[in-house]
Amino acid sequence: MAHLLTPGPAASAQHMIRMRLALMRNSLRGDNAANLYIGVSTGLILAFGTIAVAVLWPAYLPLTLAAWLSGWVFGPIFIGGSEALRPEYFSMLPAKPGRIAVALLAGAFAGPAPAVNLIALLSLPVYGWRFGPAGVLIGLAAAVTTLITMVMISRVIVALIGLFVRSRATAAAVGIGAGTAIALCSNGWAPVAALGGTDTTAWSQVVLRVLPSGWGVAAVEAPWPLALAILVAGTGMIVLLLAVWAGLLSRRVVSAARGGVPPRRGTPRPFPITSGARIAAAKELRAWWRDLVRIQLLATAFSFALVFPLLLVTIDVWIMVPFTGLVAIVMAAASSANLYGSDGTALWLTLMTPGAERADVRGRQLAWLLIVGPAAVVLSLAGTLVSGEAWAWPWVLGLLPALLGGGAGVIVLLAVTSLVPGTDPHKRGGNPLSTGADETAETSLAWLVLVAVPATALPAAGAILLHPWAGIATGVLTGALSAWGLGKIAYRRLENHGIDLLNLMKHGPAPQADKPTTADLPIQHRIGVTISYAIAWLPLFPQGLAPMVMKILGIEDRVWFLALHLPPIWQWPTIIFMIALGLLMYGYAILIPIRLSSSSSVTTS
Amino acid sequence: MSTHREPALRTTGLRKAFGDHLAVDDIHLTVPAGSFYGLVGPNGAGKTTTLAMAVGLLRPDAGRAEIFGVDVWRDTVQAKGLIGVLPDGNAMPERLTGREVLTYLGLLRGLPPTVVAERTDELLQVLELDSAERTLVIEYSTGMRKKIGLAVALLHAPRLLVLDEPFEAVDPVSAATIKTILRRFAGNGGSVIISSHVMALVEQLCDHVGVISDGRVVAAGSLADVRGAGTLEDAFVDLVGARTGGTEGLAWLTS
Repeated sequence: MAHLLTPGPAASAQHMIRMRLALMRNSLRGDNAANLYIGVSTGLILAFGTIAVAVLWPAYLPLTLAAWLSGWVFGPIFIGGSEALRPEYFSMLPAKPGRIAVALLAGAFAGPAPAVNLIALLSLPVYGWRFGPAGVLIGLAAAVTTLITMVMISRVIVALIGLFVRSRATAAAVGIGAGTAIALCSNGWAPVAALGGTDTTAWSQVVLRVLPSGWGVAAVEAPWPLALAILVAGTGMIVLLLAVWAGLLSRRVVSAARGGVPPRRGTPRPFPITSGARIAAAKELRAWWRDLVRIQLLATAFSFALVFPLLLVTIDVWIMVPFTGLVAIVMAAASSANLYGSDGTALWLTLMTPGAERADVRGRQLAWLLIVGPAAVVLSLAGTLVSGEAWAWPWVLGLLPALLGGGAGVIVLLAVTSLVPGTDPHKRGGNPLSTGADETAETSLAWLVLVAVPATALPAAGAILLHPWAGIATGVLTGALSAWGLGKIAYRRLENHGIDLLNLMKHGPAPQADKPTTADLPIQHRIGVTISYAIAWLPLFPQGLAPMVMKILGIEDRVWFLALHLPPIWQWPTIIFMIALGLLMYGYAILIPIRLSSSSSVTTS
Repeated sequence: MSTHREPALRTTGLRKAFGDHLAVDDIHLTVPAGSFYGLVGPNGAGKTTTLAMAVGLLRPDAGRAEIFGVDVWRDTVQAKGLIGVLPDGNAMPERLTGREVLTYLGLLRGLPPTVVAERTDELLQVLELDSAERTLVIEYSTGMRKKIGLAVALLHAPRLLVLDEPFEAVDPVSAATIKTILRRFAGNGGSVIISSHVMALVEQLCDHVGVISDGRVVAAGSLADVRGAGTLEDAFVDLVGARTGGTEGLAWLTS
């Protein structure tokens, strides 16, 4: 007989916090540690920036806090909401769901993100100072309730995704939400400007205070009885979210994860009787249709491409509408950049089948073109027709084939040269939209595509400037060349280095003491590379290429392009400086890791 | 070049280190053609690493592997045509059904469509996977994954089968089916290598045995030679120098 001990309370918050900290400590090696330091430094800068906003431009405080909230809302969607403490770990503990939820919540706070966010929320008592000591007190209380509310909202979203994203429709809905959010981040100023800007009586200010992130500001500004009521309501909101979360958690741990597979009806269509690249394309098309991660990423790409130009239409700028299809191609390429990584170790079958590498690469290109091509063509033709921008025809018709071919070439080349290992599909956890890959690495791969694919269309763009219709021939030619040539490099590389890719996915990067990899970049270079990836687009695209196109076309609208606000004599130098700055940052970010790792591999081989 | 008198598999001096850990250290193995070879060893002994290097899925730090005299790392394509492999724990084309996986791989290998259709039907039926016609591989149970992996290894009728833990997580009825298939394959001149840590199973199936411990071969040869007078299990415990634990501690569990 076993001794019957009286157990202490299971799932205590204190233990959960210690476990979370232990997990974090153990994961702080190499890449992860550098990423954490970069993330925390960036977060701290933004947090102190928020406090500065409260002091210097208080009218913008609700908007700034709404940005923090959107980080908690969209973070789980973009970066997979990786949970350090998975509810599944604790499903066998003898405790009620509510108790486990409270303990998990405590664990969720034992990390850098809530701490950084709390500093940002100290902007509330700082803002409260304007209203006297009571304002500071109310601001402090509101900072605490707002922080808990934001973290809870994030947790509830992760739980909702894990439970309900089980069909193509829900995966696409999440993708559309994400794509719209990215579009709003880049062009959201347009509808705001159209609707009345920073006028504090405008409805947008009301909306920002009604959002959970704005309750603190509302409480600080309100007379104290109303302020107390708002704080009580905030606490009630936390209790409600906690109850919802506990319910979702207990449902999640007893519902089998389905690995992101949509439900099906009927027997699948028989495979086409063919061989080589076409049979590989048939396999790949089925993967696109049956993988919720891929469906979500495609929905993100196309919804961004649609919403991005439409936001500018609110201020009657139609210039982007003809390029909807082209934006869709580039975005779809960016979300397909880790093709081999997302399939995991299934690569072994391609490697064990004599001569299958070529068929596999060509098949993936073909499938991608079949999925993205028709929609991109329709969007381009419809966009150009509807916008009535007749000047855009040679640009659209020339760049369309160039980008399609460039995309088909770049994605397979990067998929075999810059593979980011994830978790094998059948071993993934409760979140159907997470591939388990390192999000920072996947994001920088996507940025690389966003630069490389447009670069393949530069010859076509140059030809269009010389003669409109020469561009179409050039576009078709460079598109075909990119797809063929880059694909050829890709399958050659797969033939020679496929085994290394397989073992990268199976065992992770080989730890070789005398061979430094990107992970071992000196910290100042890692920070530099990350910052370059994060902001190089700003000088290159919106502040460089966009005003250049507008100047060439003679469009007077100055919008937010710095160069166009300067005296004419400074406009071209500024544009050229911005483009050069952007290219320089991308060049640095791409070349430094390559140079450091290749110089070391020469010495060891 | 390759003749039937060449061994089905010969490895010389295979070595592989992961960081500081030497997983496989100077492995020499000879698997005679037509034999049913069992590779045994404790957990973490280097069985999976050895087999991966032998079939061309993991590049060795040193050493060679030949299949019927064909160098795996020099004449890769020819060697791959001769073997069927079931690796441990690798993914499959997860978003295909079992039938689609076999059809796809058969056509990709360039087998004639009618042959592919015939073999797919038979394999699915014999391995009892035909009832899961709508199930994607990602939704398969562990045992079903082993069976579809075995079907993939058999599809192109190879001369050598290399199977890593083929019976792990497979139910007894399916295990009996797989044993019969493998015996028939070996009985008709095919060569089979399986890795396992179930000694009774190896004793029952194999005519040759290799024992690996700590990345080295500690015994190899015919089953009779390796096990001597006792059982394979006794010989194994002797060879790997292990002490069976479990008698000490845990007082609170038994008091």
